[in-house]
Amino acid sequence: MTLDVRQRTDSASIEAQWFLAMAWPSIALPRVMDATHFGPTDWFGAWRTCVLACVGLCALFGALSTYMHAFAWAAGTDATSPQFARYWLSLLVGELACVGVGTVGWWAWLVRSGRSIPASVTHSEEVYRIAVFWGLVGATSVVLYFMASFFVNADGAWHQTTVRDTAFTPPHIVMFYGAFPLGITMSVGTALYGITRLTKIYPASSGFPWSFFLLIGASVTEMMQVALNEWGHSVTITEEIFSAPFHWPFVIYAWLGVAIFALWIETLVRLLSIEKGLADLGTEG
Amino acid sequence: MYLDRKWDIVFWITAAFFVGAAADITRLLFAGDWDFWVDWKDRQWWPILTPFATIIIPSAIQYILWAVWRLPIGASYTAACLFLASWVGRVYQWQDFVNYPLTLIWPATVVPGAILMDFILLRTRSFVLTSIVGAMVWTLAFWVANYIPLAAYLQPVQFMGHVLTVADVAGIEYLRTQTPEYLRQVENGTLRSFLDQTQYVSLVFGSTVAVGGYWIGQALARFIALWPVGRGIKRL
Repeated sequence: MTLDVRQRTDSASIEAQWFLAMAWPSIALPRVMDATHFGPTDWFGAWRTCVLACVGLCALFGALSTYMHAFAWAAGTDATSPQFARYWLSLLVGELACVGVGTVGWWAWLVRSGRSIPASVTHSEEVYRIAVFWGLVGATSVVLYFMASFFVNADGAWHQTTVRDTAFTPPHIVMFYGAFPLGITMSVGTALYGITRLTKIYPASSGFPWSFFLLIGASVTEMMQVALNEWGHSVTITEEIFSAPFHWPFVIYAWLGVAIFALWIETLVRLLSIEKGLADLGTEG
Repeated sequence: MYLDRKWDIVFWITAAFFVGAAADITRLLFAGDWDFWVDWKDRQWWPILTPFATIIIPSAIQYILWAVWRLPIGASYTAACLFLASWVGRVYQWQDFVNYPLTLIWPATVVPGAILMDFILLRTRSFVLTSIVGAMVWTLAFWVANYIPLAAYLQPVQFMGHVLTVADVAGIEYLRTQTPEYLRQVENGTLRSFLDQTQYVSLVFGSTVAVGGYWIGQALARFIALWPVGRGIKRL
């Protein structure tokens, strides 16, 4: 498969006109740049989203994991006990409420604010948005790690030492009802950002991007697989074998998630196109 | 201009989370039990299932990095990410959370096989040859690299009147829901009638199975990662 990473035009004058048109000023970036004094590719400029989101998510999941280590054995082995309700069911409700409210709020803000953003932007602003987009993709990658590796190991270790008496075991509450919903939050939110802010890459006329569809499909099917997992355990009680066949559909997430590379490649193609255009013109946007 | 090293730094670091997770979950779901426990690391199933499960994502990333950037490091990068993800999981969750000793739960490594497979792609510049030669080398390197840490646990020891391996004793001492002997998929069947040829028979078969795993990874890269680039769904 060959990727045309340099979008060529036959006429240099057409390209120059196109770049001048692209340089139409907008409001958003100058406001941001004036306020921060950082360029679109400075660590404290657009990359701030990446750093804050990734570090913040690692801190969140680290805190949840520390809580799990501290209270799983002390209050999480008997689902009928008052301690279980106090320490674990309250966490379950809190997670679902926070993730639900946060998700709806973030998605609504992305859609509403996206409608008021000018379609024509400077190259500097477009690069800024691509860097923010990479930050969201990176944060999605971080969430997918905690979904599919970090807490999966905790869950496997837990089931090898305790036999479940509920579908809401401590690792399940952290993983299935904390990390998994956040995977949907991040993948859909990243798609909304791309569709509303990166209209040169994801124009409405091209339809809904396959890359987003597959990545969202990965996180959604992972959440849906929880239902099959719990039903399977209730039927066969295969506590002992981790590689049991009804666990296999969990791998669909990882395989569909490979579409995350399509997001990086699509935006990189556009970045290279901007760079080439600027180099040809000998100027910056 | 806007393209600088920060893009590289962000890409390689953030991609490592997904790549490590994808490789780890694929291994856990298809060969997890053989990788969790030292007494499951046998000559019969371990050299077949684990190379198959671990080659899928390295193959996919190898294709992506070679097709898009001509970088022959995809398998090695994935192996390094898997190494980190595995050890974080084993140390923090299996050892710290439920107190299994690392001697019982150490993960196998695929780093040597990944370096060799990337080298084969670099030299041959052919995914077909890499799938055949590289996947076989992958399996052989898997056995050689992991036999070194495993050998110490295969030493005989007398335990309650029986001759067992050190690995067996570790497995018996630390109770698991997997402890009952009938659950262990270890050296069962009649393959043991081949005596000391057992591991070689398994390695040859494991090599052929790994070729299949390699092409599963190739399909993922071609149809899930690269085919969607620039394509949209006009109608749902």
